[in-house]
Amino acid sequence: MNVKTIIENAIKEGRRKLLEHEAFEVIRAYGIPAPETGLAKTPEEVAELADKIGYPVVLKIVSPDISHKSDVGGVILNINSREEAIEGFKKIQENVKTKAPGARIVGVLVQKMAPKGLEVIIGGLRDNIFGPVVMFGLGGIFVEVLRDVSFRIAPLTEEDALEMMKEIKAAKLLEGYRGQPPVDKKSLAKIILGVAKLLEENPEIESIDLNPVMAYSEKAIVVDARVIFRPK
Amino acid sequence: MLNKFFNPQSVAIVGATPREGKVGRVILENFKKRFKGKIYPVNPKYDEILGLKCYKSVKDIPEPVDLVITVVPAPVVPQVLEDAGKKGVKAAIIISGGFRETGTEEGEKLEKQVMDISRKYGIRIIGPNCLGIYDNWSGVDTFFLPDEKMMRPLKGYISFISQSGAFASALLDWMALKGIGVSRAVSYGNKIDVDDVDLIEYFRDDDKTKIIIMYLEGLKPGRGRLFIEKAKEIVQHKPIVIYKAGKTARGSAAAASHTAALAGNYELYKAAIKQAGLVEAESFDEIMDLSKILLTQPLMKGNRVYVVTDAGGVGVMLTDALTMQGFVLPKTPDDLKKELREILPPHCIVENPIDLTGDTDDKRYIDVLEKLLPREDVDAVVVVALPQIPGLKGELFRYLVEAKTKYNKPMIVIMIGSHEAEKYGKFLEKNGIPVFESPERAARALKALYTYSLIRGVASRK
Repeated sequence: MNVKTIIENAIKEGRRKLLEHEAFEVIRAYGIPAPETGLAKTPEEVAELADKIGYPVVLKIVSPDISHKSDVGGVILNINSREEAIEGFKKIQENVKTKAPGARIVGVLVQKMAPKGLEVIIGGLRDNIFGPVVMFGLGGIFVEVLRDVSFRIAPLTEEDALEMMKEIKAAKLLEGYRGQPPVDKKSLAKIILGVAKLLEENPEIESIDLNPVMAYSEKAIVVDARVIFRPK
Repeated sequence: MLNKFFNPQSVAIVGATPREGKVGRVILENFKKRFKGKIYPVNPKYDEILGLKCYKSVKDIPEPVDLVITVVPAPVVPQVLEDAGKKGVKAAIIISGGFRETGTEEGEKLEKQVMDISRKYGIRIIGPNCLGIYDNWSGVDTFFLPDEKMMRPLKGYISFISQSGAFASALLDWMALKGIGVSRAVSYGNKIDVDDVDLIEYFRDDDKTKIIIMYLEGLKPGRGRLFIEKAKEIVQHKPIVIYKAGKTARGSAAAASHTAALAGNYELYKAAIKQAGLVEAESFDEIMDLSKILLTQPLMKGNRVYVVTDAGGVGVMLTDALTMQGFVLPKTPDDLKKELREILPPHCIVENPIDLTGDTDDKRYIDVLEKLLPREDVDAVVVVALPQIPGLKGELFRYLVEAKTKYNKPMIVIMIGSHEAEKYGKFLEKNGIPVFESPERAARALKALYTYSLIRGVASRK
């Protein structure tokens, strides 16, 4: 399915956000690297997908009614075998039934687990005055406690995106510390530019959170994506 | 296109009145005093006001009218515009309040009506609910504050755009007191039509504007991108200093995404300011500090600053302040050191900051500056001249004025003190050399000059 169709269908269903597998598909279409994923509706499908993707994998609940998946026990990390995958599928279904009774369940997302990297957040927003804007910051306490983020108004160049990374207070962490190599800033810049383009070309989108994005020395990959539409 | 606002041949003042203390009287008096074009008071109650023939309506004026200024109550404004439109007027300043700013349905409706009429006839509008324009060159002055309450500044080359009328008038009054020259000032109130984008564009091509100052609370919805685009081009011709008010409002914590929660109003404006190449003044003091340095000094080719001082302590303060702003105070190169050693007594310090000590006289400064100013590896010089010492008799300051033309190198002065400092400070500023009392403020101002030099591509980031 192409981006326009995915967005149209979601809006037709009365949703204000994309389901995660849809969000991944949309960002991929804009050259933003997302992990290999598949949507499973049965234990058999989970096992099959997990085998195909290769371990370790992550399982995540897919529901239009749940936005904080971890809070309802809807995420299980580090699944290493077919058996664990089937068990995980069942566990998630149970958790969600107790903690979010009545939530519609579309299925369970099987996602290739990304190895630990430097966690960053890349976001986008449609502002009333400036139109599409993008945001960059480091994940975790840097964004939540210190609000250490930088913004740019679209359209922007690769140079602007690289400058956003220099601008945050914790910029030195991107250069590597305690023996870590520096992260691949060009790949991160490409994601930032992709987010800007996604907002530019799809006026229905109000905001985008790619959080976290795992940054490594030679690439970066989005681990969690949220795409929200404008209210009608 | 906005030329009719700033340089009209004729103006109609609707709501002009002979009654003392009324807005319609003050504005008419302003125009009578300084405006060279034709003035037509409009008020159905009078045949003549202050010796000028008065008309019942704009339509009755026999000659063409370039600009209509209206001070009548809001409900009457749509009719005034209809008349103006039929007359073929293309520019109107609506001083009157009582529109959307009241938060009432009636106000909103009137504003919408005004917009519709202006579109129908193609009339450009400044206002409503504003002070309008103060133009020092053409004499257009709709600031309805009499001369004895608000001093009018000297003619000059600073133009400013203010979202707050009160701030605009206070600034004009203050600049008049300080002897700072002003070109044009605009208070646009509710800005239903002419806005920041239009005004900076007008000032770009205006040879009477060398620097633009903006006091901004917020741009009009949807105009942000165009503003950045235009500003980016304009700052290649002249600097724009911006003071963004309303910094503390934040993104709503209940926002649907992290990004939305973090995207406070000021965060986005900061990004816009950077992308557009504006120079941000972070406090009221800075508005003037930055303006005076940008207005008078050539651009910096790099960030190497030399300090010449008669006070070791201020030299150290300044070194801290400059370093914190990212400047480099290079070690005095060997060849220069040798030259300085030859001309200075042994107790002077030739290492940068160069300390001439308290027994210096004018000549010692001049000798050192004659060595420093011509050098290619010196990007700016800060002269600390505390005038309390007996050796400073004024010769140095006269020299600085000559050196400004001779060497065309960025140069600022720090002076702390009472009458002497004030006297010399005034003399220097009158001659285009900015003077600061505080090393920190001087360093921030110099940083703005450097930032603007980077924007213009004269300096390059290493």
